[in-house]
Amino acid sequence: MRQFLMVVAFTLLTVGLFAGYSNFGIPQIEPAQPPKQEKIDLGAMTMDKFIALGEKIFNGKGTCTLCHNNLGRAPMLGGTAGLVPKRLVDPRYKGEATNVEEYLIESFVKPSAFVVAGFGKKGTNDTVSPMPDVSAGSIRLNDAEIKAVVAYLQDSGGAEVTVKIPTDAPEQTEQTEGEPRAPFETPEQAIAELGCGACHKVATEEGEVGPDLTKIGGLRDKAYLRQAILDPNADITEGFEKDQMPPDYGAQMYAQELEMMVDYLAGLK
Amino acid sequence: MNLCRLKNLKGISTVLAVGILWLLAGDAFGAETASATGVTGGYGPAPDLKPSDYPQVAGVNSRVTIWIVAQLHLWFAAFVLAVPIFVFIIEAIGMRTRDKRYDDMAYEFIKVSITAYSLTAIMGGLLLFCLVLFYPDLFRYMSVIFKDSMFYYALLFFAESAVLYIYYYGWHWLQGGFRKWVHLTLGLLLNAVGTTLMLLANAWLTFMMSPAGVDPAGVFSGDAWAAIHNFLWNPINIHRFIANIAYGGSIVGAYAAFKFLTASGAQEKAHYDWMGYNANFIAICALLPLPFAGYYLAAEIYAYSQQMGITLMGGLFAWLFIIQAVLIGTLFLSANYYLWCGMGRSDGAKRYYKYIKYIAIVLIGAFLVWFTPHTLVLTNEELKALGGPYHKYLGPLGIMPAKNTAVNLMILFTALSFMFYRRANKVATVGWVKAGNAIQVALFTTGILNIFFLGVYHGYFTNTVYKVAASIPQVLTTLIVIVASVVIDSFMYRRSQEAGPLHWGRVPPRSQYALFLLAVSFTWLMGLMGYIRSGIRQHWHILDIMRDNSPDAFTPTLGYAANVVSLATILFMAMVIFVFWLSQVSGSKTLPDGYWKE
Amino acid sequence: MKIPKLLQAVLVLIGVYLGFILVFDVLLDAVIPSSVLAMYMFFVAAGVFMVFTFEEDGTRELVAPIKALVEEPSRRLIRNIVFVVVPVLAGAGTYFQMVPSLDAPVELRSIHPAPPTAIKVYGKRVNLLKLENPYRKFEKEDPEKFKELVAGGAKVYIQNCQYCHGDKLDGKGPYAAGLNPTPLNFQDVGTIAQLQESYLFWRIATGGPGLPKEAAPWISSMPVWQNFLSEEEIWQVILFLYDYTGRRPRSWEHDG
Repeated sequence: MRQFLMVVAFTLLTVGLFAGYSNFGIPQIEPAQPPKQEKIDLGAMTMDKFIALGEKIFNGKGTCTLCHNNLGRAPMLGGTAGLVPKRLVDPRYKGEATNVEEYLIESFVKPSAFVVAGFGKKGTNDTVSPMPDVSAGSIRLNDAEIKAVVAYLQDSGGAEVTVKIPTDAPEQTEQTEGEPRAPFETPEQAIAELGCGACHKVATEEGEVGPDLTKIGGLRDKAYLRQAILDPNADITEGFEKDQMPPDYGAQMYAQELEMMVDYLAGLK
Repeated sequence: MNLCRLKNLKGISTVLAVGILWLLAGDAFGAETASATGVTGGYGPAPDLKPSDYPQVAGVNSRVTIWIVAQLHLWFAAFVLAVPIFVFIIEAIGMRTRDKRYDDMAYEFIKVSITAYSLTAIMGGLLLFCLVLFYPDLFRYMSVIFKDSMFYYALLFFAESAVLYIYYYGWHWLQGGFRKWVHLTLGLLLNAVGTTLMLLANAWLTFMMSPAGVDPAGVFSGDAWAAIHNFLWNPINIHRFIANIAYGGSIVGAYAAFKFLTASGAQEKAHYDWMGYNANFIAICALLPLPFAGYYLAAEIYAYSQQMGITLMGGLFAWLFIIQAVLIGTLFLSANYYLWCGMGRSDGAKRYYKYIKYIAIVLIGAFLVWFTPHTLVLTNEELKALGGPYHKYLGPLGIMPAKNTAVNLMILFTALSFMFYRRANKVATVGWVKAGNAIQVALFTTGILNIFFLGVYHGYFTNTVYKVAASIPQVLTTLIVIVASVVIDSFMYRRSQEAGPLHWGRVPPRSQYALFLLAVSFTWLMGLMGYIRSGIRQHWHILDIMRDNSPDAFTPTLGYAANVVSLATILFMAMVIFVFWLSQVSGSKTLPDGYWKE
Repeated sequence: MKIPKLLQAVLVLIGVYLGFILVFDVLLDAVIPSSVLAMYMFFVAAGVFMVFTFEEDGTRELVAPIKALVEEPSRRLIRNIVFVVVPVLAGAGTYFQMVPSLDAPVELRSIHPAPPTAIKVYGKRVNLLKLENPYRKFEKEDPEKFKELVAGGAKVYIQNCQYCHGDKLDGKGPYAAGLNPTPLNFQDVGTIAQLQESYLFWRIATGGPGLPKEAAPWISSMPVWQNFLSEEEIWQVILFLYDYTGRRPRSWEHDG
């Protein structure tokens, strides 16, 4: 037994010496944390560029300016960031946000959490917002893009930009640029990708900004529909405003897609 | 005996469980992945994981758990793979010389390893569980690529167990004449299966370091052989094969040392002294070429990825190599010390005592060079006194040529120690003793000078390209000197007289502690080097293919790594002591008075 | 008279210790760092232990005085003194080792930290593993042009680098004395001769601020030269560094 204990003590002493030397005999250099994932260029992005990206999405892919413009369809967002603290304590606020950043993100994905007085869906007494969830449906912004828009809104609203540039989500806006996209296969796909549903009631979408298209084939002929897409302001249906629909769909669509859409719309009776 | 059998039954059932689990796991994951990525012929790209993809189980640290379990599995596996190799050799020697002592020793070695075998299987099963639990996505990805080899691995485990049990339990049954031949063949078969098992497992881990057979996104080409035969597979195979033998020798040596210390009779002491000596001899023989296998592996790592190579030798990990240097130095010193102590067994050894101190001086001197760090730890006064972080004289000792020279000298002088030990009890009778000795002295002198010249000239006065290249002629010099001297010795002492009978068992207990030191240092060193090998991938599960995005992806500090390794070593040593104890218990019988009906 | 073994061992240790001090601090005029000396002495002590104890008689002789001290009743007084003095010495040693001093903390740096795989310089991403000096090929193909390029590099060096790194490239420029860490000595075998050209490019282009964390705490005042020099100038100056010192950049191909 004595030998056994001595061997155990000797073993522990040896291991202890090695461990002690490794801990105290040599310098403890703390290695750098793993680098940010390289394939995503967001990591190398400056905040200015990120805000610029947000602005681009706000005016482009996000289709925000369709409603948030000076025509009174939706509230102007210039000073929203500054108004948030008041809204967070407003009794009509139904969300869970605790700061500006969270509030803005929430307003993108759950627009009904707070509806600015006078901008609610008709007949709901300003409890339901007509705005779609931007992370779903036809707009489908990813997390990084939403954050970029939040950064833009905070910046343009004069508030402090608290958004962190995300590093763990793929950045899609950059990828689609430059190379031609594959043509849309079906009218439904085109409607989803081009965001028609943000304004029009068509296919499964429920937009209210533009005319209802579910029975448009019975009202308009093909030539009219083609013109309405290529030059939206040529004829405005009664009760709707000018300059609401982006005039560049002709440039965005391939010729065959345009014909496909016209055929599709003409068929809706 | 009963207990022993029970243990083995448990071992078999564990192996069974591992095999079945492996099959199920491989199959289920395979099916799932194939259905998820039906388009690309069943193989998808490596998943891009998020921190949330790593399950938190029972609040334990996934990395440390898997680290320790894998390390324990590896230690046991190295031990049980190595023992049959030299058991086979010892058995063959016994068969040839008809010296029963060898056969008994071989049997005792395999007896020690048999319980360790079931522990290896248990640890393997635990490792598999941990992988599935903690790193499901990594395991899924790996099991798709290596599904066939994992299946065969499971089957081979059955073969290994079957052969091992017949080999062990049939030892006394298969004795004499043709039966002995059958037994020896079984030993060879056991080694063949064991080595194949190791090669397969090596393929999985080297795939993680130098992935092959997949495109940059990680989509598997379907060529399993390409994935197995990846760039670092063979370098690791060679390195591990040699290291396992050295490691197995050192553990068995520790076993013998323990038995020696606790032995009661002089005969028992003599037996375990002899066993310890043989184990140490095996360990040293495998230890001598090990640094070269290590250089080969490191060079191949550089060749595969300079980034990995610089991470290995540069900045952070450079300090790990200082620890490694201290440990390897410890191995050499304790092995030499054991040899010197062992000279006490012979009455004729006194003639050589006076040379020991010179060997010690060279060994220690070379060792000091061997662990002089490249980056010195300097206090502010020293910094001021030196005028900068560079030391004019110590700095050049920190780079490779100096270390190569030092390690070659250490190997050469360890060989010299061994030659003195061999000569200790012999008196040469041939007429050319003087000439033979002179030749050997000349051989050693020119060898040492050549090693020095190569190290100094090529290391400091020529292009860097040759710095690495010079290590090869240095190694050759060392090997030639050792081989030539041993050959001359064997002729010179062919019909030698014995100075007196060899007194096995006449060694101080201190020498047995040298054997313990050898075993503990070896275990700890393997743990450390395993960490380095795995750690140089940094934040990658599979280098440049599958990123580690778990919260533990960071590279820990050296102290942290050393503490984990120390903890694992203590766990392993505790289990090894348990194994030794079992082999002792199985042999002892207690006869209680009046307990059984007469 | 024969010196007792124990005294022999102690004398050997003291002799080696003083020998190190004498050789390094006095003869070579380059102090031996205390951290290195401590480790050296630890293993020298291990070696002395090995030599003095490998045979039984010697060991007995060595430990005899210690044994006598502990066991013999006649030595009670000395024993008591030793048993008081040794713990006190050990305690004092520990105390002075651990007591916080007013000195600045010891700075540990990896002088050559592992480089990243890729860096961003001159507004583009560069893969350091594949980066090569575009002018290196002229050394064989067009020696005249190579000479010109080296001369161009020399000009860049003299205009920008020599203030710190010295006109002999030995790290002893006019401003060197004011800097900590001191500028690198390119003549030293442990600096550029150990590195690849891409490594130098990385260090020059991104300077002190571009060092990874493992090289910290680093207060290197090396400027970020990509803001001041063109890419071509950096490559030329690298040619010059190797040319002037007569070193070769590290490469892993043996045909180098």
